[in-house]
Amino acid sequence: MRARLPDRAGAIERDGVRVAFEIFGDGEPALLLVPASPITHARSWKGIVPSLARRFTVVTTDGRGTGRSDRPHAPECYAPAEVTADLLMVLDAAGVDQAILVAHCHAVPWALRLAADHPAGVGGIVAIAPGIASAPPYPYAADAERQWADLLDAPNGWSMRNRSCWRRDGGYRAWVEFFFGQQLPEPHSTKQYEDTVGWALDTEAEAMIAEREGRAAPPAREAEALCGRVQCPVRVVHGSDDRCQPVARGRRLAELTGGDLMVLKGAGHLPQSRDPVKVTRLITEFADELTGAPMRTTTWTRGPCRRPRALYLSSPIGLGHARRDVAVARELKRLRPELEIDWLAQHPVTAVLEAEGEHIHPASQWLASESAHIASEAAGHDLHCFQALRRMDEILVANFMVFQEVVEEGCYDLVIGDEAWDVDYYWHENPELKRGQNVWLTDFVGYLPMPDGGEREAFLTTDYNAEMIEHIDRYPWIRDQAIFVGNDEDIVPRTFGGDLPAIRDWTTRHFSYPGYITGFTPPGPDEVAPLRAQLGYRDDELVCVVAIGGSGVGRALLDKVVAAYPLAKKAVPELRTIVVTGPRIDPAGFPGRAGLELRGYVHRLYEHLCACDLAIVQGGLTTTMELTAAKRPFLYFPLGHHFEQNFHVRHRLDRYGAGTCMDYLATDPDLIAARIAELAGKPVSYRDVETDGAARAARLIAELV
Amino acid sequence: MRARYPDADGIVVREGVEIRYERYGQGRPAILLLPAWSLVHSRHWKMQVPYLARHFTVVCFDGRGSGGSDRPADASAYSDAVFASDALAVMDAARIGSAVLVSVSRGALWALRLCAEHPDRVLGSVFIAPTARLMPPLAERRVERFGEVIDDPVGWQTYNAHYWKTHYPEFVAFFLGRIFTEPHSTKQIEDATGWALETDGETLTAADRGIERCDAAATRRLAARVACPVLVIHGTGDAVRGYGEGEALARCTGGALVTLEGAGHFPHARDPVRVNLLIKQLADRVRR
Repeated sequence: MRARLPDRAGAIERDGVRVAFEIFGDGEPALLLVPASPITHARSWKGIVPSLARRFTVVTTDGRGTGRSDRPHAPECYAPAEVTADLLMVLDAAGVDQAILVAHCHAVPWALRLAADHPAGVGGIVAIAPGIASAPPYPYAADAERQWADLLDAPNGWSMRNRSCWRRDGGYRAWVEFFFGQQLPEPHSTKQYEDTVGWALDTEAEAMIAEREGRAAPPAREAEALCGRVQCPVRVVHGSDDRCQPVARGRRLAELTGGDLMVLKGAGHLPQSRDPVKVTRLITEFADELTGAPMRTTTWTRGPCRRPRALYLSSPIGLGHARRDVAVARELKRLRPELEIDWLAQHPVTAVLEAEGEHIHPASQWLASESAHIASEAAGHDLHCFQALRRMDEILVANFMVFQEVVEEGCYDLVIGDEAWDVDYYWHENPELKRGQNVWLTDFVGYLPMPDGGEREAFLTTDYNAEMIEHIDRYPWIRDQAIFVGNDEDIVPRTFGGDLPAIRDWTTRHFSYPGYITGFTPPGPDEVAPLRAQLGYRDDELVCVVAIGGSGVGRALLDKVVAAYPLAKKAVPELRTIVVTGPRIDPAGFPGRAGLELRGYVHRLYEHLCACDLAIVQGGLTTTMELTAAKRPFLYFPLGHHFEQNFHVRHRLDRYGAGTCMDYLATDPDLIAARIAELAGKPVSYRDVETDGAARAARLIAELV
Repeated sequence: MRARYPDADGIVVREGVEIRYERYGQGRPAILLLPAWSLVHSRHWKMQVPYLARHFTVVCFDGRGSGGSDRPADASAYSDAVFASDALAVMDAARIGSAVLVSVSRGALWALRLCAEHPDRVLGSVFIAPTARLMPPLAERRVERFGEVIDDPVGWQTYNAHYWKTHYPEFVAFFLGRIFTEPHSTKQIEDATGWALETDGETLTAADRGIERCDAAATRRLAARVACPVLVIHGTGDAVRGYGEGEALARCTGGALVTLEGAGHFPHARDPVRVNLLIKQLADRVRR
């Protein structure tokens, strides 16, 4: 799912060629993002558009030859004059009189031409990894250029940048895969690599060939003359490890235009993808220097006069975090009554926070929805949560930028992030941005591959784990306290993959263990009967509660349980079944059956779970641990391909001796009915779940303030 | 030792009164730091000058009646119009065509006049803890009777011409205690005490009498003519001019208001980092 959809989308048409554009936001000034089309298109800006659009009007274009634009095959269609005419027409269509151009690689000469020929329309240029002959190219690129039209027998590496190679079956793909492998020299760039290769394959070899032959990039002397004609301010951003464009080109461009140069040390050719936070900030600063940062009415409290303040982030993926975080916050306030806590949170966490009277930071409205993304990634009883998290990259960076603004303005002493992946990741990637003390909470450590993901998935999870381990090793001061919600034995007896360490050993070295945090105290043996009476459950009935949480993922499981109901009812006549569909699934959408109760949202669902005779749930940690703490029998169905539910949660439940794990695909209604008959109302002997986890976690946090 | 010494300094003579000014740095735009009152001289900007001069051309001058400038005895030599003209003469001498004005306290009246009457010379204006008579004085100041003889005056009653003749240092001590309401301000108070004792009660009396007794309506008329970007900075702990004054000035100039929670009347001395960044923010905004 995209982090932000355009406010307006359209296309201009010139001489029968349509060029697509999108417009986001309405602030001043306007930015026009010009990709190095057609090898890439507007989606290559996905890491920077959402946050820029909160301040500025952002116009993106796919450029001719790719994306939603037409793909002419005639070289003259890609002449610089054609491209700059497209850009002018896009600005016109967007109602923008003057824009700052942000251009990448070989789009930079287009931006320079536009600025030179239409100075009134261009307020400034940010040139990222400029592809301009202001200095010599790499020798391997020059060699490839010389052989462009040759018929090569066995092209490899840079010589695959060759017309005949691209026309050969699979030749263009081979080139793209080689090229982007070169352009992302930063370790742990698998997602950026997959993205850029995918965008490059959105075009076709003939369009790429036509563009290359029609590009007419200015040779050295012309390039110098072009730079000399540019009057507007220029900022050059260039990675020191750029293997497409030598940094000497960026340096010379800055000299020739009187611009400034930001060398990103260690960065490759695609910093807008690999270092989106830094690039966003460089663009924002440049725009602010041009027009001045807006003067706003604000309050700044003198340092000594401030009350201690914390910003609490609670992961919206599943409802479980909200309850435990409220419990921790409550204990923290008990220990530090003067502490003010703001929440940066999104639906459905905000629903819990509002009900509890907590203060939600108004910037929460800017957060892109993580739970909607997760729901969009699920199908049937299946959610590949590792890939879903990877594909959430643009949402995470968009939300991080919101968070960073909030902490820079809010003067917080403390940040508490319960699986706030964005904060943890981007503070380690941009450590100079850290503000205040930082607490990291999680209930699992280590990405684990699903067996059917093969070598590729094992490689990817290992790579992600390695990145996390390197983050912590290099910047141990980013997490001031790391809290594992549970105990050391809850951690799976596996390694992070490859030759990485054992997960439990490593976690014990880097985390504190407050025990599990339930967020409520389960009823004691004497309290169950009054609770049942209060909820309207009779002693002579066996109550089975079926619940799938608030995410909207799980309709398939409900269908299967509803189908099992008549069989179960026949076997257990005193059975009463209550199906809780959650706020996102309409209970009216199920077939009505006598004795089967269907409900939407149920307030204080955990009380029902504590009082039932059997529960049927997904494999999420919070619900299964509530049932474990309350010592109720339950069947749980981990979502397919959900490594956390299949490995981490299951291991923990096994340790507690709790629940019966069910394989959704291998289970039919008969089996569900048989299990219901076997387990409903039967006593269980689970290991006790501690009830002081929230207080212990709060003590660990309170040490910091 | 100073953190930075001027690149140029000089004297402007206006109708026989010498005004001493300093010039630092060379960036654009120019920033003119206005006098606050004749109680202190231009060194009260010491926490701003070195930082701002790395980015901008900075010009400051000792207001008449203070520091290295002359101390005319006649109240008419201290009118708002005279101070505003001094500022223009300093800009001319320092070869500054236009500038961002930064004023503190009573300097607000002179800055407003320059904004309204010489818009071509003013790029923007920062008002710190403005004293522009938009709001009635603070309740505790209503005991002031400036020209009357008061037996054994206490508190704000010491804001009194007769008292200043004989007990000027005692007044200075009281007044600076009201300027710096923030705890742990000993150094700021010692600094300002030293500068205040470079002038005397008679001079300060003339300076005080010279200020035109304009009313809120007159200030509003001036404010309505201000077209340049305006930033007002006011502390909620200001015990000399209430925070409401800053709010009112921001409203009638259409400027942005930055509230300094817990700050007193001289935040540029007590919270120099925040104030420096705010001044730079406005100067950056008017640069192009």
